[in-house]
Amino acid sequence: MLQKVKDITRSILAEKQADGVLGLIRGQWNIIQPHVFDNLRQVDNLVLEPKWLLAKMAMTVLRSSPEGYRLAVIARGCDERALTELVKRNQMEKDRLLTIGIACSKEQAEICLCQRPYPEKLDAGEPVAGVDPFADETTRDLLVGDSRARMEKWARLLKRCIKCYGCRNSCPICVCIPCKLEDEVWVETGVIPAEMISYHLIRAFHLSDTCVACGACQEACPVHIPLVALQRSMREALRQVYGYEAGLDTEMRSPILYDLFKKPAAGQILPDWINSLENDNES
Amino acid sequence: MNPEFIKTICPYCGTGCGLIVKVENGRIVGTYPDREHPVSRGTLCIKGWFAHEFVHHPDRLKTPLVRIGNRFEAISWDEAIPLAAEKLKATAETYGGDAVGGLCSAKCTNEENYLFQKLIRMAFKTNNVDHCARLCHAPTAAGMAQTTGSGAMTNSISDLAGADCILIIGSNAAESHPIIMGEIYKAVDKGATVIVVDPRKTAVAQNAAMHLSINPGTDIPLLAGMMRHILDAGLHDAAFIRERMEGFEELKNFLQAWTVERAAGECGIGGDTIRNVAEVYAKAKEAAIVYCMGITQHACGTANVHAVCDLAMLCGKIGRDFSGVYPLRGQNNVQGSCDMGGLPNVYPGYQGVSDPAAQEKFQQAWERDLSDKPGLTLTEMIGGAGKEIRALYIMAENPALSDPDVNHVLESLAKLDFLIVQDIFLTETAKFAHLVLPAACFAEKTGTYTNTERRFQLLRQAIEPPGEAKGDFEILCLLANGLGIDFPYIHPREVMEEIASLVPAYGGVRFDRLERAGLQWPCPDTYHSGTRFLHEHKFTRGKGLFVTPQYTPPFEKPDEAYPYYLNTGRMFAHYHTGTMTRRSPFLNRELEEPYAEIHPEDAQRAGIREGDRIRITSRRGSIVTAARISERVAKGSIFAPFHFTEARANILTNPVLDPISKIPEFKVCAVKVEKEPYENQGR
Repeated sequence: MLQKVKDITRSILAEKQADGVLGLIRGQWNIIQPHVFDNLRQVDNLVLEPKWLLAKMAMTVLRSSPEGYRLAVIARGCDERALTELVKRNQMEKDRLLTIGIACSKEQAEICLCQRPYPEKLDAGEPVAGVDPFADETTRDLLVGDSRARMEKWARLLKRCIKCYGCRNSCPICVCIPCKLEDEVWVETGVIPAEMISYHLIRAFHLSDTCVACGACQEACPVHIPLVALQRSMREALRQVYGYEAGLDTEMRSPILYDLFKKPAAGQILPDWINSLENDNES
Repeated sequence: MNPEFIKTICPYCGTGCGLIVKVENGRIVGTYPDREHPVSRGTLCIKGWFAHEFVHHPDRLKTPLVRIGNRFEAISWDEAIPLAAEKLKATAETYGGDAVGGLCSAKCTNEENYLFQKLIRMAFKTNNVDHCARLCHAPTAAGMAQTTGSGAMTNSISDLAGADCILIIGSNAAESHPIIMGEIYKAVDKGATVIVVDPRKTAVAQNAAMHLSINPGTDIPLLAGMMRHILDAGLHDAAFIRERMEGFEELKNFLQAWTVERAAGECGIGGDTIRNVAEVYAKAKEAAIVYCMGITQHACGTANVHAVCDLAMLCGKIGRDFSGVYPLRGQNNVQGSCDMGGLPNVYPGYQGVSDPAAQEKFQQAWERDLSDKPGLTLTEMIGGAGKEIRALYIMAENPALSDPDVNHVLESLAKLDFLIVQDIFLTETAKFAHLVLPAACFAEKTGTYTNTERRFQLLRQAIEPPGEAKGDFEILCLLANGLGIDFPYIHPREVMEEIASLVPAYGGVRFDRLERAGLQWPCPDTYHSGTRFLHEHKFTRGKGLFVTPQYTPPFEKPDEAYPYYLNTGRMFAHYHTGTMTRRSPFLNRELEEPYAEIHPEDAQRAGIREGDRIRITSRRGSIVTAARISERVAKGSIFAPFHFTEARANILTNPVLDPISKIPEFKVCAVKVEKEPYENQGR
């Protein structure tokens, strides 16, 4: 797989299909870091591991690059979906972006609880089957069952927040300027923890139809809040009710923006484990 | 045309997280976490994420400045260096070398600190060199050196994740060392019990299983009460004490006087709480003690450290994985600046200046006569300014904000014949200088930092310094040559080789070995892979020593005139004297103005509402700040962060010193609080 990615990278650079290729480089002393490849010799040191999300970096590289600059990104499934979502939301010009799609290993898919561990445009590697995140015990613990007990669990975890803004900074889709989390009306400044409702739920809902479950937020969280789990219910609801999944292609429109009042495509019944409000009302 | 990503180390706290800075056209435009970094593993706190923001601030110093009357005038390096050299030389000739003092810096690299102390010691035959470690972990260096032989964190940061019980005393790691707090939460997620001892209900305390809100300055009674109960209940590690410890009888005698009930009375908590906590700690398989300024910044700071070590050694919870004693160092390189001999009583590697063998070794290596008389400490140098100290050379330190009783500090600085300040911004201290030298910041130089877990790490230059600013390494070499000392170094790597040749514990440290993950000292030779935890089979000093901790209550207690305790500290978005963070737009927007926390009941009694301007007064001075009404502080206590130049909390603090380490009692003094009259409310 690595050799194939190197070959593709070389041909992209040689044929000037792109001005740079964003990927990982193994430098002297075995140091691995993100790098924009722009000459053929460097490509010898290209590597694919560890999983290091590049979509956000790709966006910042493109934003500050001169007109006509084209960037290729070595993209895992989640990276590709994030980039697609950015293109769809006019944060990136489609013509300036290329991807070299690589499949994730089975181990990586299991670590991420990834439902689609491969990009739609796959260039290298063998795709492995997705993992059902709701089969995972820790996830179920957080998302299924008594709503009050879950609320306490979440409150305990979210109270750890040190307000590093790492979840927002690392999220490839979090691109709004100005950011609601910087609005003092919603998020009190100068104190930690960030409030559960106004910080974490604003962030989560803001991403409800764009989150591609790449895990960048969770990986950047110094205090180990399971942030991806916070998104899974909404992603699943959109999938089940509207057949919608963020980042699959640039045409599919978010039901939250377009179809919310239309009849859902896949029936009206919400899965019972996200129906916690009703349980509360009954009790 | 394409941006470059360069790995380097965060310039803020002692955790030493890995940063990747994004460079475009010679400017740093962003910061990313380093996924491969052994400590931070792809995470950063708010300060780290925005570490690039101050780098290109327009306030950066770009040329040397000389004071002419009441203003500064730009001069060239060709004028500045001879001027500095001439003034320092003249002072030494007139008043003797001991009239010159130097403050090196916990913000600068190991190589720079090594050169700084070498310069002061060689050029002026004095040991008047010190730095802000005096104000943070001097008691750790002194206290742990006595008990274990090594004044450093015994274990690695990642070890915390494996502990079953973590006792946190006087550390608000969630705000001051957030990435270390993450390791503690890893342990919590595996079932560990976290116990927090802090007068204030800090963010750490809010997330702990138990919070002991003890009276300010009563750490020794608490620890003594715990030890007494552990002994009485037979929970101590008798075999460990027999084989590896000395001084047990003395400790037992000392504890005779400390019944749990007496301790509980002093601390203002229940005796059963002390017993419970003692049992949780002693019975845990692996138990760690994390401490910080709440232990050290007291007039009995060194004794506090003794008590912490005594507890760990009594239970045998030291010298192995996961357990241990974890002092969290504050500055990015405060461990290194101490290691490099930036202290008045030791050469690099804690080799005593009064030890004839060490003196001989450094005299031979440096080919100069050196003084065997320990120099003055930072607090003594500032106090003696204009008297025994006539000229002071300050590298990247800001005592005008960081020292206690700063009104007195300012008076002292003004009395100096000649003050050189070398910094990246015109700090409050630099405004008093006769000569200001513009230096490079973390992103503009190469060198090494040593983090709180003794890890040498490589700082990589990403961009050039602004204007004519130069790296401290280069400035020191120029000044040395101006003083007639040969510093022939071209690259900091050569300085590290010299350090390695003089300090056995760093003997194996070389720049190229630090590239991937750094090295934790001791690392005696180039085949050694570093040391994850200390004191495995024997303590650095041989046997561990129980030192009986003599309890001194805080020097000032609330009375009728000054009815509140004042506690000073930090908040999550700012860093120390705010030189960098307050110039970082994102961090500054988080908190632009100073505040002080007051308990709701106290506020109500004084007629103070949220946001009111209040005047806090101690016996040394007063500040005006905004009230933040909060149950985080205990009744009868005020908390003020010390980051703010417009309300310097250190105007209030008490300069009384710990007799051993000379640390001031920052954490406790008595104050009164008044609401400012209506016309000063600014509404």
